[in-house]
Amino acid sequence: MVTQILDPTDERVPIKRSLTPRPEALHGTIALLDISKPRGDVFLNRLEELLHERAPGIETRRFMKPTVAKPAPQPIKDEILEECDFVIEALAD
Amino acid sequence: MHPPTKFSLLDAEGQEKQFPPDGPVLLALVKEDCDTCNLTLPLLEAVHRATDDGLDVWVAVQKTDDIPVLKERHDLTMPLLDDDALDLSYETDIDTVPTLFLYDEQQNCTLQTFGFDKHEWREIASESMELAGRSDADTAIDWESLPEQRPGCGARNYEPGVYERLQAIKSGDLLSRLVDLASSDDIHEFMYDQGYTDGFPVVPPTRERVWKMLQGTPRDPQDEVAIVPPNLAPITIEKIAINAVMAGARPEYMPAIISLVEIACTESFNIHGVLATTMGATPVGIFNGPIRDRIGMNYLHGALGSGNRANAAIGRALRLCARNVGGSLPGGTDRATQGGPHRLTMNFAENEDASPWESLAVEYGFEPTDDIATLMAMSGGPATVADERSRDARGMAGTLAASMSCMQDPKSPMVDTLVVLSPDHAGIFGRSGWSKNDVRECIMEETAIPLKDRLRSADAGCGLPPSVVERFGGEAALDRPVPKFADKSNIILVVAGSAAAKFSTILGGWATGVYSTATSASIGPNGAMSFRSIGGSVMDKRQSGGRDLGAFEPRLQEPAAESGEE
Repeated sequence: MVTQILDPTDERVPIKRSLTPRPEALHGTIALLDISKPRGDVFLNRLEELLHERAPGIETRRFMKPTVAKPAPQPIKDEILEECDFVIEALAD
Repeated sequence: MHPPTKFSLLDAEGQEKQFPPDGPVLLALVKEDCDTCNLTLPLLEAVHRATDDGLDVWVAVQKTDDIPVLKERHDLTMPLLDDDALDLSYETDIDTVPTLFLYDEQQNCTLQTFGFDKHEWREIASESMELAGRSDADTAIDWESLPEQRPGCGARNYEPGVYERLQAIKSGDLLSRLVDLASSDDIHEFMYDQGYTDGFPVVPPTRERVWKMLQGTPRDPQDEVAIVPPNLAPITIEKIAINAVMAGARPEYMPAIISLVEIACTESFNIHGVLATTMGATPVGIFNGPIRDRIGMNYLHGALGSGNRANAAIGRALRLCARNVGGSLPGGTDRATQGGPHRLTMNFAENEDASPWESLAVEYGFEPTDDIATLMAMSGGPATVADERSRDARGMAGTLAASMSCMQDPKSPMVDTLVVLSPDHAGIFGRSGWSKNDVRECIMEETAIPLKDRLRSADAGCGLPPSVVERFGGEAALDRPVPKFADKSNIILVVAGSAAAKFSTILGGWATGVYSTATSASIGPNGAMSFRSIGGSVMDKRQSGGRDLGAFEPRLQEPAAESGEE
């Protein structure tokens, strides 16, 4: 499997990755990912309330990274990818 | 091979072993699937046991998974080092296993061998015992039972694919930014997302592939070849190689690709304008000389079309260099209104054997034995000229002229055209004894129409503004013929395709000498040499300024009109 390629450009711009198209409406399961920053849970608790209030019928699931200092472990990313339709990551302090 | 002086590897227990250790050491490099390695590993173990603490015996194994296998198979107690990454093998540049290096207490390599030569191995075993201070002891090796010689096996670091990977990673030749892909990335989708492609899939430019591509030229990968517009970015041999890999090229195409990049970036060819023009021009490459067959270019059936790797990849590589390094992107600085499929790649070789004339390259002063690339900017086409009826040169030239007369629009004069004659059409001229010049003069005459027919009118808004009439001498000039092309030398004639049928191709140029001057160069291993603008003189590589035709004026002057009257 190819894991690295050489940049064919003049290297003046950083590598970019495309965003997933913005969905028309909320549906299914929304993952709420706490990155383990202080008060992330306060923010996500309130967000969860608002989501249930404004988008009735959706489900929410809470996830938490073990540490703020490192990327989310692959099993968490896999679980979100397989079982959820959206993810909201709480970056706030 | 070079005896290593310093390295660090993990042993079977995961402990780091620093080389050299204190005191004398016997270092071996082996792999598991090698009969000679398996023959000799018990000998090394015997030396290890017999020399006790007086000498270290270290064995570097070329694959991690093979370490426990060898350990169990031969009941080994000497340290087995993990050279799975082949760092040590690459540094020592061994091409055969087993390879042995014996070092004395001052860490000087005193003996070395590869494969199994009983005489040399006995000498190394004996010297090892000497260095260990055990010269009076016995290694317990039954030398008599061993064969005199056994060849070694190819070292893993020289296996196909592995060698290229090691060179790519460790040679220091490649300095481009490494782009990491996530395990979830689809490489092809990723490359589309980055804007690296021309709309078709590209070959991922891994370090191994790029390193192999660089073997197609002796030039230093970091040599700057040209400044590529519109971003005016310097392009190195390495960047050309990366884009050549993506285009699907083979290493032997590199001299041709480098040459096209160099020609494209001359001031005379003006790739900036060619790719920026709203007309949607594109560079068209034409090859002459032995290189055509050497790299397998197509000049027979379908020469202008698909199906040949060299034709397709060389032209595509140039376009990808312009896109990725130069930054020429449709809708950005590439302002083509519509473009055309020939903008993906258009590159072919002349069918010199089927031509009744000297080749394009010879016409421009090169030798038939020279490898020549010519780059022309074509704004339109290719358009087919189908004439299966003409049997004489005059009729055939008339067909070409009639087809060209509507090029771009039926009224406006233009500067230049490329005519790719099929062998059958070219043969008509050959049998009639017509030279290229005869064909050109006939086309000039046949495409000339009265000035009044080149003027804008209510029923066709194209053409020249009425104000030009005064410059031609007023109403008296209205019936004077004005040729379609600026000069007969701007009608470029080449022969390509097979002797299948009577179909040729015409392409509209992009004002050679004014906008983009068609430019040739001979192709050397390092790239382009001795540049020539078509119809011009030999130019210096760095001062290849365009031939000045005085913009569009010459084609409207009276002498041109008079020549049409003769």
